[in-house]
Amino acid sequence: MPFSRRRLFATLASAAVTSQFVKAADEPVTIAGKRPMILHNDRPEDVETPVRYYDSWVTPIDSFFVRQHLPRPAAIDSGAYRLTVNGMVSKPVELTLADLGKLPQFTVPATLECTGNGRGFYTPKVPGIQWMRGAVGNAQWRGPRVSDVLKLAGVNTSAAYLETDGADTGVASTPDFVRSLPMSKAMHPSTILALSMNGQTPAIHGFPARLIVPGWDGTSWVKWVVRFTAQAQAGTGFFMNPAYRYPKYSLPPGTPAKPAELEVIEGMPVKSSITAPEDQTKIALGLVTIRGFAWAGENAIERVEVSTDGGSRWRDAQLSPEKLPFAWRLWSLDWKPNDPGYYTILSRATDSAGRVQPMVSPWNPSGYLWNAIDRVGVTVEKTA
Amino acid sequence: MKPLLVITAMALVVLAADQATLDRGQKEEGLTCTPCHSLRLVHSQRLPKATWNKELDKMAGWGAKYQDRDALLEYLVANYGDDKPPSPPAMSADGTPKKKQQ
Repeated sequence: MPFSRRRLFATLASAAVTSQFVKAADEPVTIAGKRPMILHNDRPEDVETPVRYYDSWVTPIDSFFVRQHLPRPAAIDSGAYRLTVNGMVSKPVELTLADLGKLPQFTVPATLECTGNGRGFYTPKVPGIQWMRGAVGNAQWRGPRVSDVLKLAGVNTSAAYLETDGADTGVASTPDFVRSLPMSKAMHPSTILALSMNGQTPAIHGFPARLIVPGWDGTSWVKWVVRFTAQAQAGTGFFMNPAYRYPKYSLPPGTPAKPAELEVIEGMPVKSSITAPEDQTKIALGLVTIRGFAWAGENAIERVEVSTDGGSRWRDAQLSPEKLPFAWRLWSLDWKPNDPGYYTILSRATDSAGRVQPMVSPWNPSGYLWNAIDRVGVTVEKTA
Repeated sequence: MKPLLVITAMALVVLAADQATLDRGQKEEGLTCTPCHSLRLVHSQRLPKATWNKELDKMAGWGAKYQDRDALLEYLVANYGDDKPPSPPAMSADGTPKKKQQ
């Protein structure tokens, strides 16, 4: 290959860029406002809650997981913020935060779970962030009903979908994050445009305005909402198709999906997770409180059972009192093992519609909706 | 022992060539992947070659312009193939506001 000064310069420049990024990847990363989190990606931010942080019904913002598809938009000035409502409406409007604040405000407690939470448990491995148990949290969301917002623009009753766009935009040629929601769900009284989360307005979680779609996958909960468009048909962008779709018919593990048989994910399945004791830890022989949480999409949790012998015998766990659709219930069970040794602890939830957490979560090429019976192994040791 | 020397020399050449490919792949990763996301997103995954290949196609569709795609694929499979042990979880540093000293 003939030598050229330009080529030498390009090589040196690329080496410099490479070393800069490699170095950056090894340096400690701090996510402002967050406790130490499991770091899957720092640019954009994809961070998971360590299970030991889960000890309250409302997950504090400083330990709430973050999943960004695209870089966060520049900070949105509350005075400059505008929400465009257009499409199949009689009078398109641009609303300010003050306009939204004048509408009746509702508080909706709801569990937000990343569609791919638990992807790391699937075998064979699938691409995507390898979330384990911690891409889920429960918060108090507060704001006006989406139905009230749409009324201000005179939404046409024949509109079948609501398209929602956030202020984030793609980098290079990555697609914009735009989602379509069936109008029946958009008009549900619990579907709100949240102006706060646990009484705060964290930009990292999509404020000043985030769509709250209780019981549905996190992908539907669009952040930094700047546009609602009433439409006759669902949008066709990448984040509606092929992304965030699930096989209508189960596939043999490791095989590709048939695109025509993929469906948009809506309500979430029934699920429980064990938060204590942690998997593969050692605990002292004596009284142990097994703890976790359980949630069921648009349903409420009816029951959580726990086994400490690999699934031979099951006992009912105690449940926290709030039995609500959309929001999780905490559960716990006191356990006093008689002998030291290795124990396999399982948890299994049942919801108000009779759905039971399965033993096997169906493998799918994108690793969505993991909800198999949770399982941790612990070694119980005699104390001196 | 001439044949052994020849074989050893050949093996060294092959190994060096492989290492050179992996080095080129790593350089390509630093150049092409990092404009859009950190490398943690890549390094936390363990995927078979066919799946890495599809990921590279997906990223090309989103604007990644490879100069050395084959080397990048070899590098990904050699370091982050599905036969490699999972990466230990990385933790971010504490980003909560520091409490004032009493």
